[in-house]
Amino acid sequence: MNNLFFPKLAVNTIKKNGKFYFPYILTCIGTIAMFYIMCFIESNEGINKMPGADSLEQMMELGTIVIAIFAAIFLFYTNSFLIKRRKKELGLYNILGMEKQHIAKILFYETIIVGIFSIITGLLFGILFSKLILLIYTKFLSFKVTFGFSVSVYGIKSSLFLFSAIFLLILLSNLFQIKLAKPIELLKGGSVGEKEPKTKLITAIIGTICLALGYYIAITTESPLSALSLFFVAVILVIIGTYLLFNAGSIALLKSLKKNKNYYYQTKHFTSISGMIYRMKQNATGLANICILSTMVLVMVTGTMSLYIGAEDALKNRYPYDITVRKSFQDKSIDRDKLLQSVLDAISSQGRSIKKINDYKYLSFSVSYDNGQFIANSQNQYGNSEVLTFITADEYTHLTGKTIDITGNEVLACSNKRELDNTFSLFDKTYTVSDKLESFPMTSDFAMFLMNVHFVVLSNDVVLSQILNEQLEAYGDHASWPNYEVSIDIDGTDDEKIACAQAVDNATRDKVKDDNSIGYRYVNYTHSRQMRAKQFYTLYGGFLFLGLFLGTLFMMATALIIYYKQISEGYDDKERFEIMQKVGMSHDEIKATVRSQVLKVFFIPIIAAAIHIAAAFKMITKLLAVMNLTNVPLFFWCTLVTLLVFAAVYGEVYTLTAKIYYKIVG
Amino acid sequence: MEILNVNNLKKVYSSRFGGNHVLALKNVSFSVEKGEYVAIMGESGSGKTTLLNIIASLDKPTSGEVLLNGKSIVSIKEKEISSFRRNNLGFVFQDFNLLDTFSLQDNIFLPLVLSGKSYNEMSTCLKPIATKLGISNIISKYPYEVSGGEKQRAAVARALITNPKLILADEPTGALDSHSTDGLLRMFNEINNDGQTILMVTHSVQAASRAKRVLFIKDGEVFHQIYRANRSHEEMFAKISDTLTILATKDTRGDGHE
Repeated sequence: MNNLFFPKLAVNTIKKNGKFYFPYILTCIGTIAMFYIMCFIESNEGINKMPGADSLEQMMELGTIVIAIFAAIFLFYTNSFLIKRRKKELGLYNILGMEKQHIAKILFYETIIVGIFSIITGLLFGILFSKLILLIYTKFLSFKVTFGFSVSVYGIKSSLFLFSAIFLLILLSNLFQIKLAKPIELLKGGSVGEKEPKTKLITAIIGTICLALGYYIAITTESPLSALSLFFVAVILVIIGTYLLFNAGSIALLKSLKKNKNYYYQTKHFTSISGMIYRMKQNATGLANICILSTMVLVMVTGTMSLYIGAEDALKNRYPYDITVRKSFQDKSIDRDKLLQSVLDAISSQGRSIKKINDYKYLSFSVSYDNGQFIANSQNQYGNSEVLTFITADEYTHLTGKTIDITGNEVLACSNKRELDNTFSLFDKTYTVSDKLESFPMTSDFAMFLMNVHFVVLSNDVVLSQILNEQLEAYGDHASWPNYEVSIDIDGTDDEKIACAQAVDNATRDKVKDDNSIGYRYVNYTHSRQMRAKQFYTLYGGFLFLGLFLGTLFMMATALIIYYKQISEGYDDKERFEIMQKVGMSHDEIKATVRSQVLKVFFIPIIAAAIHIAAAFKMITKLLAVMNLTNVPLFFWCTLVTLLVFAAVYGEVYTLTAKIYYKIVG
Repeated sequence: MEILNVNNLKKVYSSRFGGNHVLALKNVSFSVEKGEYVAIMGESGSGKTTLLNIIASLDKPTSGEVLLNGKSIVSIKEKEISSFRRNNLGFVFQDFNLLDTFSLQDNIFLPLVLSGKSYNEMSTCLKPIATKLGISNIISKYPYEVSGGEKQRAAVARALITNPKLILADEPTGALDSHSTDGLLRMFNEINNDGQTILMVTHSVQAASRAKRVLFIKDGEVFHQIYRANRSHEEMFAKISDTLTILATKDTRGDGHE
C-alpha cells in the first residue's frame, strides 16, 4: 500500500464531512486563538509593571485556567458529535476489509491534520489579534501604556502544550470507541429505534419546587448582605430545577398537550409535538446545559458591564470627598484640633487649597431591630440588623450652622430606608424622636447602601457617652468606638490630589509615633478618591474584560453546540420528512415544521435563561450594591442590551442552522 | 368509467449536465376503470417505479399525460400537488413508511391532520376502517411494538382513510412473511370488492395473481396484459408465470412490439 494512502484518505474524509468538520476546525482555531491571547495578556510585561496589576495578573491567570478547562470539555463534546456521525462510514470501511488498525491510522492522520492545521492557524490568528485585544484591554483598565507588536513565547508554548494534549486525548478516546465497537454497530451508528419517553411526574414536581424556591429566595431577599449568602443557595436550586424541568417537565408538558386532542390534531402542532417528545428525551440535558451556560454568560457580562459603566457613580457613593481621614478614639482621647491642624498643614504644604471641608465626631454601630426595640446583635447575623450613627447637637451645629433645641432623651433622626418610630428603645432606655430631618450632612457611610441606617442627633455629650458605655458593655471586644472624620474637597489635577492625599496620610500617620493619643488600627485610614478610582478601574476593567472575553467564548460554544445538535438531528429526521412528504405534506409545510421545531429547540433555552435573569434581577442588584453599584436602571439597560446582542447572535446561527437543516431533510 | 388514463407517457432521465440520457419510459399508455384492481409487473429496471412515481405526482413525465378522473395531474401546480395527492391518492409502500414517533392511530390520522380535519371527524372515519382491517385493538400501539403484517395493515388504513379515488401500492408484500402476505392480499380483494380502485406494482406472482388485470412492462413499454375473466387464483398464477417465462426468454431488445 502506498505510504500516502492513509493521509490522503484522511484528507478526503475531512473534505467529505465538511459540514461537520468545518465548524469543528473553526472552533478549534477560535479556542486556540483565544487561549493564546489570554496567555499573552497574562504574561504581558508592560501591564504587569503597572500599579495594582498584581490582582489583575491573578484574575487573568484564573481566566486562562477557565479557558483551558473549557476548551478541553468543549472540544471533546463537539468531537463526540463528529465521531457519532462518522461511525457508519468507519463501519463500512471495516466491512469492506479494513482492519481496525487501518481505521486507527485514518483517525490518527485525521487528528494530526486537524490538530496541526488548527494549532498553526489558531496561533496565527491569536498573534494577529493579540495587539488589538490588548489595546481594548488597556482601554478598559484606563492604563496609558504604549506597546510595540510582540509575540508571547510563553503563550505559544502553553497553547502548543495544552492543545496537543487535548487532541491526543480526543484521538485516544476515538480509538477506544472504535476498538470497542462491532462493525454492525458502527454501521448502524446512532440510529436505533427508541421508545416514547415516560412521564416522570415526581421529578417534574420536584423540579418545579426547586425552581420556585430559588425564584422565591431571589425575589424576596431584601438585605444585600443576606443576598450575598443566599445567592448561591438560590443559584443551586435554580440549576437543579432547570435540569429536572428540562428533563421531566418538558415531557410532562408535551404529553399533556398531546392529550388535548383539539390542540394536538392540528397540522402545525401534530408533527412538531410528537417530534419534540423524542427530541426532549435525547436533548433535555443538553438544552439545560445551554440554558445554564447562557444564564451564566448573561449574568457575567451584564454584571461586569454595569460595574464598569457605573464605576464613576460607585466612586462618588463610596468616596464623596477627595480626601477622607478617619481616626478612632478607642479608649484614648485624641486631640481633634491637633489632628485637623496637621491635615490642613499637609494640604497647604502641597500647595493645594481647600474647597470644602467637614469634620465631626460620631459613634456608629449595628444593632438588631425587633419590634420597636434595638438590642445588641450577635456577630455575623445580618438578617434584621440596622446601623445607628450618633452625633451630638453641638456637632450638628458645627456641621450645619443650625442650632437645635433638644434636651435629655429627645433626638432628631434621619433614616435612609425604614423610618424610625416616634419612640424607640435602645439598650432598654427609651428615646423620643422629636423631629425628623430631611437630610443629613454626613452621608459617606458605606453601610448605608446595604443596610438600614439611622442618623441620630443626641442632645449632648452625656447621652453619647452613656450610649457608648452601654454599647461597650453589650458588645465587649466587638464594640465600636467613636470616630473622628475629616472630609475635604481640594483643587488640582488628579495626580496632584493623589500626592496631597499621600502627604495627609503621612502627616496623620506620623502623629502615631509622636503622640500616643492617636491609635492606629484598621478603623484609621486616609482615603483618596482619585487613588481609589485607579484601583476601581483596574479591578472593574479587569472584570469587564474577563467577562466579555469569556462571555464571547461561551456564546460561541453554545451556538455551536446547538448547530451540531440540529444538524445531527437533521439526519435523523430526514426519513421522517420523506415519509410525510409521501403521505402528502407539501414543501411549504415541511419548511414551516422545520422552522418551528428548530426555533423551539434554539430559543427555549435562551427564553428560560431570560426568565432566570428576570427572577435573579433583584438579587443581583443587591449584590451589586455590595460592590458599591446602586444604579438599578443602568443594570437593567446593560441586561437588556446584553440579552439582545446574545439573541441576535443566536438568531444568526439559527438562520444558518435552519437553512442547512432544511437542505438535509428537503 | 375510466378513473385513470395514462397516455403516451415518456420519461428520459438525464445526468445533471445533460450528458447521459436514460430512457426509463418509452411510450406507456393504459387506463384503469373505476373499481378495477390492476397489477403492474416487470423486472427491476423495467420502469415500473418511474411509472408509479409519475402517477403519484412525485415525478414529472418528459412527455405524455396522466388523467385522474379526467383531470391532468401533470399540469397541477407545485403548491397544490400535496393536497391533490392527499385527497385523491392513497399509498401503500413496501417498507410501510410509518413514523416511529406516532402511534398507529396517529400515523393513520396523518393525512387527515394535514388536511385540517377535526379530531371527531377523524375518529368517525377511523372506526369502520380499523374494524375492517382488524387493528382496532392495537391502534394505540407504536410501530415498533407490532408485527410487520400489522404495520402494513395500519399503512393500508392510512391509505384508505382519506377515501381516495385510487390506491397506489408499491410492492406492498415485499417485506412480509407468507402468512401476512396472504392476509394483506385478501384484504386488498375485500376493499376492492367494496369498490376501491387499486393499482399495484409488484414482483410477486402471488400478489399479481389476485388482481383483476395484470400489465407487464418491459423496457419502458406495456408489453402485454392479462385479464382475470373467470380464472381462479391458481389459474391466474400459472398464466402469469407462463407470460413471465416468455418475457424472459424472448429477446425484445431494440423493439418492444410483438
